[in-house]
Amino acid sequence: MNLSIHVRLLLAASLVLTAFLGLTGVALDKAFRSSAEKALKESLQASVYALLAAAGEDDQGRLTMPEILSDPRFNLPDSGFYAEVHSPDISFDWRSASAVGRHLNIGEPSVEPGERRFSQVRSGNGGEVVALSFGVSWEDFDGVETQYVLSVVEDMQPHQVQISAFRNTLFYWLGGAALVLLLAQGGVLRWGLFPLRKVSDELSDIESGGSDQLKGVYPQELTGLTDSINSLILQAQSRQQRYRDSLGDLAHSLKTPLAILQGMAELPETGDRNESRQLADQVDRMNQIVSHQLQRAAASGRSTLSRTIPVAVAVERIAKMLSKVYLEKGIRWELDLPDDLGFPGDEGDLMEFMGNLMDNAWKYGSQQVRISGLASGDGIELHVEDDGAGIPQAQAESVLQRGRRMDEQQPGQGIGLAVVSDIISAYGGELIVGESVLGGADLVALIPNH
Amino acid sequence: MRVLLVEDEAELREPLTERLSREGFTVDAGADGREGLFLGREYAIDVGIVDIGLPEMSGIEVIRELRKVGKHFPILILTARGNWQDKVEGLEAGADDYLVKPFHVEELLARLNALLRRAAGWSQPVLACGPVELDTRSQDVKLDGAPIDLTAYEYKVLEYMMMHAGEVVSKSELTEHLYDQDWDRDSNVIEVFVRRLRKKLDPEEHYKPIETLRGRGYRFVLARSG
Repeated sequence: MNLSIHVRLLLAASLVLTAFLGLTGVALDKAFRSSAEKALKESLQASVYALLAAAGEDDQGRLTMPEILSDPRFNLPDSGFYAEVHSPDISFDWRSASAVGRHLNIGEPSVEPGERRFSQVRSGNGGEVVALSFGVSWEDFDGVETQYVLSVVEDMQPHQVQISAFRNTLFYWLGGAALVLLLAQGGVLRWGLFPLRKVSDELSDIESGGSDQLKGVYPQELTGLTDSINSLILQAQSRQQRYRDSLGDLAHSLKTPLAILQGMAELPETGDRNESRQLADQVDRMNQIVSHQLQRAAASGRSTLSRTIPVAVAVERIAKMLSKVYLEKGIRWELDLPDDLGFPGDEGDLMEFMGNLMDNAWKYGSQQVRISGLASGDGIELHVEDDGAGIPQAQAESVLQRGRRMDEQQPGQGIGLAVVSDIISAYGGELIVGESVLGGADLVALIPNH
Repeated sequence: MRVLLVEDEAELREPLTERLSREGFTVDAGADGREGLFLGREYAIDVGIVDIGLPEMSGIEVIRELRKVGKHFPILILTARGNWQDKVEGLEAGADDYLVKPFHVEELLARLNALLRRAAGWSQPVLACGPVELDTRSQDVKLDGAPIDLTAYEYKVLEYMMMHAGEVVSKSELTEHLYDQDWDRDSNVIEVFVRRLRKKLDPEEHYKPIETLRGRGYRFVLARSG
């Protein structure tokens, strides 16, 4: 899984937050319930003692219960508060006035004296009740001990209502808190990750040619990274420049001696005419090899963080230059290039391959040349068309292949096209030879963006 | 025709100067940008050959300066790197054509002739005015299809006058464009050449191709037909 940092942080924080708030809810709920239960038990206990205190004895010293108890809840029917006293030994069964007509269903026939027993049961009427039974041993005047069980029963419903009210409140507060925290966290993440987004925006700006350095002010944690990127870009640029310069120097230092040799070979007084022709041919060949290899090496291809070059500007410069060079031909030329069409690479490479393609068009065209281009899906497509004789399909293959063995080639159209083909290949692109509606060749350069 | 050659490599400049002279050009050769600029400004140059990679001052700067001071003679640049950025910059600076080093001298001569013709408004390498035909490539002159034998200086004078056919060409203009600076400008040698040319081109005094305008110079009067 390749999740963005933003999603990762948001997901993790949300999970932690949810778990934390959930556990908090459960803990609070448990605490509330157990304290409510404890309070209930204590209140039942107190009621049992009150019941015991209310007990009187008859003339034989046996236990009796009054009709009316001091706690009014025991006297009111269906109050949800009931009391029962019975004996497992003798026939004694007393119920508080509130329990009239009720089946309490406590089910605690005998409880040892001094023992307390809690039970939570379903009453006969279906509601849930909690009961506390307390065993006592009652000695009458004759010294006969009789066991009694005093039970106090309380309807659970009011407690349950209370608990569920608490739960509702708890849910709303925790839910609300969770929502607020999630929103706050989302905001914090956006704000915290903003510099990273800015870096990536600036990088894509560099790639699209809008800028050549990261210029924004970044937080301390990122300055190391952005400075490194900047110096990488600079390094790449200057390395390319150095490379080009040294190639240029090499070219210059090789070519001038070659020019001198050629001049010598052409001087008629150099003796044997045949020899000087041979010498001239060899110099020519050397020159072609040197030129070709230099141009190949100079076709740097794209560097990782280079800006795009506006195609229309470069093409127009070349077109104006060529119409000057081929002034006498009076070629009519038209450009159909969107202003924002960018070449994803080096300006020198662009001028080199477009220069060669356009030079051929001016050279072989008879009246008209058209240069057009468009951004197509994942790259750019450039057409150079003329109204000349065109390149026969059979020759097209060899024209493009000649570059492989420069030393075998004949002078002519192929020299330029092989160089063009090499440069375009360096960009992972393709050169296609087709037929133009103008009547001549349509040379198409397809250059992918990445 | 007077040609300016600016090239820093003596091994290339010297044989080229020699060859151009042999082809009938008057050559002013400079070894660096400053010298080239000086020669270009001072002399009546017809065409320039400027190397781009020059010491002191780049060829492009030389061309830019020459154009700035109003020198419009055609210029051909020589480039060793042969990359399009250099070529485009050179032509944008005011050059008219380029040649990538190393080059064939024949190619250079053809380009120079083409530039000269173009600057004078001729579109073909053969200058044709009535019955007179002058081939700038082979330097052959024909009258009604029959070859005429001219000396190198006679050819030079005729070529210059035919290039500027219909225009008045003064004697000093001819000396400036055709002869080295140490030539005796006051000599009447031009008159001698013109007289000989008239005799060779029009022995029967039928066409009267060259008109003398007293105090102003000469004019080649036969209409251009090419």
